[in-house]
Amino acid sequence: MTRLGLFALLGAIFLSAGLALAPNAARAQGLQDLLQDNSDLVADASRRTVGEVLDVLATSGLPEVPLFLERWAAREVFQRDADGLFVYVEDEDADPLILIDITSGEVLGEAGSREVSQLRPNGGVRRVIASALVQFQLGAEDPQARLAALEAIDDNPDESHLPLIEERLELEEDPSVRAALDVLYPRLTIAFAEDDAARVAAIEALEGNISLAARATLNPLLTTTRDVAAELPEDINLARVLEPGADLPEAEAYALLAEAELAPPLIPAEARLAILEANVVEGRVGGLPVATLNTEAARDAAYAALVAEGLAEPAPDAEAIAQALADNVIYEVYREPSEAVTRAARATLDGIETRVGYYEAVDLTLDGLSLASIYFLAAIGLAITFGVMGVINMAHGEFIMIGAYTGFVVQTLVPNETASIAIAIPLAFAVTFGLGVAMERSVIRWLYHRPLETLLATFGISIALQQIVRQIFGPLTQPLTPPDWLAGSVSLNDVISISSIRIAIFALGLIFFIVLWVILNKTRLGLEVRAVTQNPKMAASMGINPDRINMLTFGLGSGIAGIAGVAIGLFAQVIPDLGANYIVQSFMTVVVGGVGNIFGTLIGAGLIGGLQKGIEWLNPSNTLAAQTYMILFVILFIQFRPRGIIALRGRAAGD
Amino acid sequence: MKKLLLASALTAMTATAASAEIRVGILHSLTGTMAISETTLRDVMLMLIEQQNAAGGLLGEEIVPVVVDGASDWPTFAERTRDLIAVEEVDVIFCCWTSSSRKAILPVAEELNTMVFYPVQYEGEESSLNVFYTGAAPNQQAIPAVDYYLEELGVESFALLGTDYVYPRTTNRILEQYLLDAGIPAENIFVNYTPFGHSDWSSIVGDVVALGETGEQVGVISTINGDANVGFYNELAAQGVSADDIPVVAFSVGEEELSGLDTEPLEGHLAAWNYFMSADTPQNEEFIANWHAFTGDDTRVTNDPMEAHYIGFQMWVQAVEAAGTTDIDAVREAMYGIQVPNLTGGMAEMLPNHHLTKPVLIGEIRADGQFDIISQTEPVPGDAWTDYLEESAILVSDWPGLGCGMFNTDTESCVQLQSNY
Repeated sequence: MTRLGLFALLGAIFLSAGLALAPNAARAQGLQDLLQDNSDLVADASRRTVGEVLDVLATSGLPEVPLFLERWAAREVFQRDADGLFVYVEDEDADPLILIDITSGEVLGEAGSREVSQLRPNGGVRRVIASALVQFQLGAEDPQARLAALEAIDDNPDESHLPLIEERLELEEDPSVRAALDVLYPRLTIAFAEDDAARVAAIEALEGNISLAARATLNPLLTTTRDVAAELPEDINLARVLEPGADLPEAEAYALLAEAELAPPLIPAEARLAILEANVVEGRVGGLPVATLNTEAARDAAYAALVAEGLAEPAPDAEAIAQALADNVIYEVYREPSEAVTRAARATLDGIETRVGYYEAVDLTLDGLSLASIYFLAAIGLAITFGVMGVINMAHGEFIMIGAYTGFVVQTLVPNETASIAIAIPLAFAVTFGLGVAMERSVIRWLYHRPLETLLATFGISIALQQIVRQIFGPLTQPLTPPDWLAGSVSLNDVISISSIRIAIFALGLIFFIVLWVILNKTRLGLEVRAVTQNPKMAASMGINPDRINMLTFGLGSGIAGIAGVAIGLFAQVIPDLGANYIVQSFMTVVVGGVGNIFGTLIGAGLIGGLQKGIEWLNPSNTLAAQTYMILFVILFIQFRPRGIIALRGRAAGD
Repeated sequence: MKKLLLASALTAMTATAASAEIRVGILHSLTGTMAISETTLRDVMLMLIEQQNAAGGLLGEEIVPVVVDGASDWPTFAERTRDLIAVEEVDVIFCCWTSSSRKAILPVAEELNTMVFYPVQYEGEESSLNVFYTGAAPNQQAIPAVDYYLEELGVESFALLGTDYVYPRTTNRILEQYLLDAGIPAENIFVNYTPFGHSDWSSIVGDVVALGETGEQVGVISTINGDANVGFYNELAAQGVSADDIPVVAFSVGEEELSGLDTEPLEGHLAAWNYFMSADTPQNEEFIANWHAFTGDDTRVTNDPMEAHYIGFQMWVQAVEAAGTTDIDAVREAMYGIQVPNLTGGMAEMLPNHHLTKPVLIGEIRADGQFDIISQTEPVPGDAWTDYLEESAILVSDWPGLGCGMFNTDTESCVQLQSNY
């Protein structure tokens, strides 16, 4: 840095010498000269100091200043290390770079990428620059530039902006800029206008406006500072009087008084001990033997004796403290001096907060529903393989994961995102259906009615599948990008917003539910599935092939897991452990809901998702704790309803 | 079981090599949730060893890498460390990513007196005789980043989001105290912990956005680790939160993690590290070129822990050459004060507390997944015991001088020599 500074200094000396020699040295300084004068502030711009340079540039009236500021904020300005000259470059990626003069636009020469430094103003500096650019941009021809200026004001409002906005309000014709002005003008009025009546009117106009911007405008008006005085001053905008003992602890209240020198300070226990120790004379302090000073009361008495002898400062006792607190008043006063403004702000904000609370409840419900739909989607395949067939399939999560990877592979082959998802969904079903059938044929069918062996075998398969995927695709997260129309979020207002992908998952969950319900209850396959699961021998004697039905059912459950994988991959991360993250919740959902019933799975997912969000809301600082409490709840729940919410009765219950 | 077989197969492969040579243990997770970050570190170690061998080896002997898999499972790390020392008889171990795995191997490393290089930024509050910390301590990453928030971005309301394990919890405890000391009121600090691999971010992002209702600038300090970042940044983008509205500074998101993300919506968010791939120095250019040549893939990125391994390995090579032997104690003596050039410019020096001097860099994410370096400090000496917590402000670590890694300056006594933090 010192080297750079030295160069800048040399550059400045060189430049001024050059200027002195030049015949027209008296002419107004150019942009480059102004920048060189403030070289360090420009090159190492900081939010707190950059204002100086901007003031100089803005008052210079040079026509190239707005362009320079824009390019500076966009990181298109470079500094030549050799002489500290500020330049633009033609193409940032070129090697060598072609340097261009910031005023004339002429080519100055070439430089390698290490011979110049790019100026990279940070976010804070860019905000200040944007705010300085406002005065140039508000009068711009292009409505987009004017909108950008308004956005900059929005980010960093300032008293100087109010007259600019007022001026613009008279002239503006473009409807979108007009709309932005209409939002911004009241905010600036509230914050900076002189006339209280206008501010109150602007505040009252925000009635019921729950936007974050409105709250961010009103809340600062209501910030308070704490103060103490012997008597309540007349001419202040009082927020409230604090009652020691009720509104704040007495000790704290007394400390405030002492700090304001309205009462003698307390002597802390340690300091008092030190004073006592210092005054031990022949084993006695203030006439009392040291050995008796083992109680607070005895030490008080010894100290009082010292005070009486004039050996120590008097310390306030309980009575004096109470008296001091009664004699003085502690109060909170608004930073905003106008009472009319704070009253209006308080009333408006109270109304807004009630509505925000109501919307927050709605938002929480939506979050819970969304989480429930994700759990439902992850669990619904399991509801068939575990719920209906009774197979404990620990590899269920890996089918979800393989579905997600199918989506990823399709997306690398078909770049169009919408088309790739449309292809991925049936393909994921096909792939995982095939895998499920293969697994059922090769492993699970030998293990029916031996749950422990099934559990171990499928667990082994799950680890193997994870590792195979890791070997093929690597351990890194793979992107599965949702199409643009699913990328954003739907927001009703600043409180309620839910990302589109979650809505799509919710819809997909509903579709699955309906389709499965129809398959299981209204088709011949469903009839046969139910028959085989209830009593395979009887079903076989009725001409149903139980082997085939088991195979198809398991395939169906696995296939659905594959589709769920595509959906989950779109909002979560596609990694080999994807499935493992969902397997516990899936089993929980099915067990809580009630084995053997997809209605149960639906309700179970709703209960678990809603509960999780509810606990998270109560304890927002620890999401992990929320999951722990939820598992505790599930354990308790299973104690009381071991068969889940919807328990099968009679013969359907098996056993 | 499968993982075990795989790991032992790997070790068996290397164990058949010649016997009279220098052996370097490489212990990283090649499977499991941390494999995403750690496999790269194994690769960079293999590259560095290959380069050193091509340049004539060390003390005239060939360096043989011994790669074992920690499998993202902390007890496995301890077992593998014991294997490496007792069975493989390695001369040094380059190990670990998560603090949990480092804590797991500490007792073994100390019992069997080996030398471990740990390459990742961590929470501090530790200094073992047997570990050299080549990653950043909190004062070399977290504290400067918070200063940047306070000074440059004017952030007044903080959300500290982290994954629930020792690094984020300790770091956030330090940061919370630091912010309180800086005059940020307690109600303006929102702390949240999520499990590994968390994906349901909508309500947490909602909570963070709601912090803005007081009209103050909100900033997020993220110690979210691993895959969970994908969901977090996606949710930010989905809710339309840009870096201008609410900046996020991450301590565990580097080039490698970004390569799995659609980075366009992340533009402008921040990360604090001691190295960025975009650093424009001749050393870095050479390092990247070597890396691309070694992996045969010129899209592979480099990141901060890779630089830490690079520095650690160079230092160890220099120390072995200076000591003329691979004997642990002699090499350790030679380590102190050794200087190696950083890839971002300046020199890294090994301090008596087993930490390095490092420059602190703050970068803004670019649309191409690289970082624009917007701030770079002079090298900062790493501080093992933070000055911002009352109980550790009085502790210092100075192995060659005081012979102690946890020395209480108040009582002038060594608290402990072995690690049981």
